[in-house]
Amino acid sequence: MKFFSSFRKRSPWVLHYNAGSCNGCDIEILAALAPKYDLERFGVINTGNPKQSDIFLVTGPVTYRSRERLVELYSQIPEPKVVVAVGSCTATGGVFRGMYNVEDGIDRYIPVDVYVPGCASSPQLIIDAVARALEILETKSKEIEKPFKLFGAIETIHNRLSRLNMAAKVGQNEKN
Amino acid sequence: MIWIWIILAPILGGLLYGGERVLRARMQRRQGPPFLQPFYDMFKLLDKRTLIIHAPHALLAIAHFFVLWLSVAAIFLGWNLLYIIFLHLFAQLLLVVAGYSVRSVYSHLGSNRELLMVVAYEPILIFVSVGFYLVSGSFEIAEILKTGGYLTQLPLLFAALLVIVPIKVKKSPFDVGEAHQEIVGGVEVEYSGVFYEFLYMSRFLEYIFIYSFVYLFGGDSSWAGMLLVAGVFLLVNLADNATARVRTLQMVKIVSMTAMAFSVINLAVVVL
Repeated sequence: MKFFSSFRKRSPWVLHYNAGSCNGCDIEILAALAPKYDLERFGVINTGNPKQSDIFLVTGPVTYRSRERLVELYSQIPEPKVVVAVGSCTATGGVFRGMYNVEDGIDRYIPVDVYVPGCASSPQLIIDAVARALEILETKSKEIEKPFKLFGAIETIHNRLSRLNMAAKVGQNEKN
Repeated sequence: MIWIWIILAPILGGLLYGGERVLRARMQRRQGPPFLQPFYDMFKLLDKRTLIIHAPHALLAIAHFFVLWLSVAAIFLGWNLLYIIFLHLFAQLLLVVAGYSVRSVYSHLGSNRELLMVVAYEPILIFVSVGFYLVSGSFEIAEILKTGGYLTQLPLLFAALLVIVPIKVKKSPFDVGEAHQEIVGGVEVEYSGVFYEFLYMSRFLEYIFIYSFVYLFGGDSSWAGMLLVAGVFLLVNLADNATARVRTLQMVKIVSMTAMAFSVINLAVVVL
């Protein structure tokens, strides 16, 4: 509904996930949430629970260990949702690009709406990215968004997407 | 007239919660969210797609909210204090059952903690109502509000109530039941969208519930009651900002060593 959609940008709840980052960007995200930069003045809460979140803040190049959790968390966030890739690693792989145990960036697995540059990206940039993400969030519909790499069949129960065990489907039929 | 207040109770609680978030932010020298933030959150939750685990789980959240609303309505209507406490206990148990009904470990942990919280604060609430009975001669709120002088006769009981207010409004040092980042909200963990909204609003009602107990200590003077509520509100938020979370069993121990002892001594003094 149009009336309720206008409140999306006033109350964005954030889920923060570290997909194998060096913790540099995570510290900056926490700095943005802490009293000095105070992201809470936009109504941001760091929920830590995917089912109640709107914005997915991801840091780090995706390591093989973390990609299943990444997809699981992404598919557990109810639509409308926005993904923000924080830091160079998350966008392109950064200094880890081409390494044997990482994927180069999260957009191989899930659709990304906002990329934040920097190694590590500064709190100002992160706040800017969240503000940009809010504009995108407002225009999004409630269409179901699926991760890119989800091998195996997508299951439906009573004509609805089953979100059970999304992560288990990532590894199937894959070479790595 | 009173029905209008009952219908507005969640909105009143929401205003209280919004004010509290601003106050807490100002105590940390930051700007904080807008005053009406809880309502923005509620409208946004209505717009989210809802994921349901199973129907009874979702239904129990709604039942929890409405039973809690009933107990708050009973307070506004001036009913028997013991009815109100047990209605509230029933609402709490619905939430515990909801927590146990899903497979999430966090949800089970949250339910365990919720039960231990009930163990900690429930005797104190009953002692407080017994204290009111001993002074005013009635359990009816309408009668309790006709006499005064509770603070002079029941000072230790008021201190006991002060200890359990943070448990009920889920504030540090006794916020074990919610504990974001530790057990991701406890029983709330599997809720989303509209059904989470009911739990979010029941939090507002909890505020009204526990602060009306504080208000009762004002007795026949409503100004004294309001002043007490404002003072306790400030004190609880100060404690929230200044303390860290204690463990669940420590909480039970602390409450039974301080609040329980206070209330037993106070009741003994009044009876003798």
